[in-house]
Amino acid sequence: MRRTRGFTAVALSAMLLMAGCGANAADDSDDAGGAGKGGKLTVLSASTDINFDPAKSQNLAITTLGLVLRRLTTWDIQPGKTAQVVPDLATDTGTASDDGKTWTFTLKDGLKYADGTAITTADIKYGVERSFAAELSGGLGYHKGLLIGGDTYQGPYTGGDLASIETPDDKTIVFKLKAAYGDWPWIASMPAFTPVPKAKDDPKAYSQNPVASGPYQVSSYQQGTAVTLTRNPNWDAATDSVRTGGPDEVVFQLGQDATVAAQRLIADSGDDRDAFGAGFVPPAQLAQIEQNASAKQRLVTSDAGALSYLALNTRRGALKDVKVRQAIQYAVDKSAYQVATGGAAGGDLATTLITPGIPGRAEYDLYPAGESGDVAKAKQLLAEAGQTALSLTLLSENDQQSLAEAQAIQQGLQRAGITVTIKPADETTVTDTLTGDKPDFDIAVSSWQPDFPSANGNIQPLFATSEIGGGGYNISRYSNAEVDRLIEQALATTDPAAAQALWAQADKRILQDAPVVPLKYNKNSFLHGSNVQNFFVAAFPAYPNYLKVTLKNR
Amino acid sequence: MTALKRLPGVLGTLVVISLLTFAVFYLLPADPAQLSCGRPCTPDRLAQASAFMGYDKPWFQQYLDFLGGIVTGRHFGAGRAAVDCAAPCFGWSFRLNAPVTRLLLDRAPVTFSIAGGAALLWLVIGVGAGVLAAVRRGTAIDRSAMLLSTVGVSAPSYLVGLLGILLFGFTLDMVPVGGYIPLAESPVDWAWHLILPWTVLALLNAAVYARLTRGQMIEVLGEDYIRTARAKGLRERRVIGRHGLRNVLIPVVTVFGLDLGTLLGGAVITERVFSMQGLGALLIDAVGTVDLPVIVGVTLFSALLVIVANVLVDLVYSVLDPRVGKETTSR
Repeated sequence: MRRTRGFTAVALSAMLLMAGCGANAADDSDDAGGAGKGGKLTVLSASTDINFDPAKSQNLAITTLGLVLRRLTTWDIQPGKTAQVVPDLATDTGTASDDGKTWTFTLKDGLKYADGTAITTADIKYGVERSFAAELSGGLGYHKGLLIGGDTYQGPYTGGDLASIETPDDKTIVFKLKAAYGDWPWIASMPAFTPVPKAKDDPKAYSQNPVASGPYQVSSYQQGTAVTLTRNPNWDAATDSVRTGGPDEVVFQLGQDATVAAQRLIADSGDDRDAFGAGFVPPAQLAQIEQNASAKQRLVTSDAGALSYLALNTRRGALKDVKVRQAIQYAVDKSAYQVATGGAAGGDLATTLITPGIPGRAEYDLYPAGESGDVAKAKQLLAEAGQTALSLTLLSENDQQSLAEAQAIQQGLQRAGITVTIKPADETTVTDTLTGDKPDFDIAVSSWQPDFPSANGNIQPLFATSEIGGGGYNISRYSNAEVDRLIEQALATTDPAAAQALWAQADKRILQDAPVVPLKYNKNSFLHGSNVQNFFVAAFPAYPNYLKVTLKNR
Repeated sequence: MTALKRLPGVLGTLVVISLLTFAVFYLLPADPAQLSCGRPCTPDRLAQASAFMGYDKPWFQQYLDFLGGIVTGRHFGAGRAAVDCAAPCFGWSFRLNAPVTRLLLDRAPVTFSIAGGAALLWLVIGVGAGVLAAVRRGTAIDRSAMLLSTVGVSAPSYLVGLLGILLFGFTLDMVPVGGYIPLAESPVDWAWHLILPWTVLALLNAAVYARLTRGQMIEVLGEDYIRTARAKGLRERRVIGRHGLRNVLIPVVTVFGLDLGTLLGGAVITERVFSMQGLGALLIDAVGTVDLPVIVGVTLFSALLVIVANVLVDLVYSVLDPRVGKETTSR
């Protein structure tokens, strides 16, 4: 999972951006249902680097990395549907035994790398093992704490092999976990579960030249400028249910200014007709597109997805009192916050922790206060708590957008007599303060999109006691033994429906303690050229599904 | 000779700058290892990442390692995944998985192309306009040149760049809107892609030079030796070109040296707007991701360029004003 930001700063957050966003009805009319084969698709990206090393990558399954590398399982993302975990290299999404502590996968027949050699389970084991090496840190490492021996394993370069991953034959792989974990099929869709042939592993060069298993291979990599993907002759569409492999070539133009990229796509001339933008359309260009019928047709906005919320540091002063935190639930002006983030186009008001598009989500509102809050109710709760002159510090990033959002919160709370002082700081300082061990703040606006579409990803990283400090994202410092037990129980449940019910229960139980105020489910907007089709953005993840994009035959 | 004599001073300045960059960086609350730790990041994993990158040592130790690496090269990690940074090693970017030395060499041509062409253009336009305005002082030419230069001095390059792209790139579809083509690949495409950034930068900077040149020229034209030159019956063109301009150029060259040196270290905003990955773009990315080796590398390289530009300016002085050279050699 990751902390997400509004429109502006996302442009800088490197490879995360390489994903895409939300589905839109306007697009369906001219979509020919995946018929288009051939052509050169261009992706305009603000990031200056693409890291293809699966151990170091935090890429979503449906974006850049997914074009080149296959995993044990992957995501089926379709417009208007909730995300599903589906087999990729494996024949199914895993079989649990030993009460969910042992997971077995079998590979499909006839799988080959781009060089024609066969993909084996030993390569997947090796791929997972190398993700433990400190030299290759930086990727998504949920598996590291789950596998037996993972806490101390140092990777294959210095630490030998990891005994809790067994490969009885070339087609079978068995993972042995410390405790039951129902979401293991999702974990097996993380980048680290990509096969890496040991003989071809050059850790220093792998990030630019990985051994391809998907429809494309990296044919040229110009650092900071462009990356070109061409067809992998040994990819067999019959073994792949999620990738269509439409264009003959995919070119990533890197380091593109977000404004200029949006202007190019609005102008829609020449090769830009075959292009789409990997980053969000900036607010100014959104307004411009409103006035331009052609561009408006090519704008794709996601369903409401990632959660923006106001975190209340539950270990600080008056905020230790649940009554005070509940008062803030009523005092916040969510509608003003929504306006500050671009109005209804920027997202819908939120009342729950599990976000739309995640299976098992239950809609509810514990603090019904209308769109602008209930100031009288807030004042009453504050009085009951004996707080007459509450004063809080709001830690905010110092860019214009973040400050506007902070001011919307400040003005809302002011109505209930709560004085908020905004403390601006740069992005890195804010992240370090919120997730580190010196949490010198009372409240902060943050946002979150899970790394995989399970309610687990909405709840555990933000509210489990184990995620407080040390880089964890429980920035409210919320700790409740009952919730921790619910989380443990849900994590260990292998039946998806039963697990989802437990997550929904945890969602409500947490908000009774009011450690955060849910503000908004964010929407992201993306723009594509007139020749691009099958371009959609679902609710989760709120990024385009690169694997399905095709070009019209000219 | 002059350049050699200044070498110790140049090296001293660079050492002080690198030391300051290191010190300032370590006063920041951000932990560079945190950003390379991945998600979820456990304290153990963080410590391992930190140790691999060498960020677990005290900052002065890291600084000494950095200095040592320039001479002897550096080595990170162990086994097959170990990283070798050959001398002269100015650090290793773990984010980009590349030695800083190579990153600098890769990106410098982009910035040099932007800065070199633009500088030539603004020098010609600026000095030309300044001379013309001074000679035709008080006329419509003078007034319009100065009005334009006021606009140029005041306009932010980000705005002018974007407007330029909108007008010439999108509306008129005359020039490419961005991207860099290496000179070796195609000299024509190289220049074609650079025309817009050159023009934007040149127009903005030429304004300063036009004002400076005009002011100096008016002053010089009032000097006795100009009157003498005219009295000798020299042609006006020769009076202005040979006797006037030569003296005007001394302050112009001083400013030009500083401007060019600064710009060579990274045309940050221009590179951003025109999607060209030069030193400026490299630095901005590095600051955003707490990539210390790259920050130190680009800072040092930029400082070196400014210093070199100043040394060159001093050398040019002796050509423009023979007295400077003579004084130096006679001592």
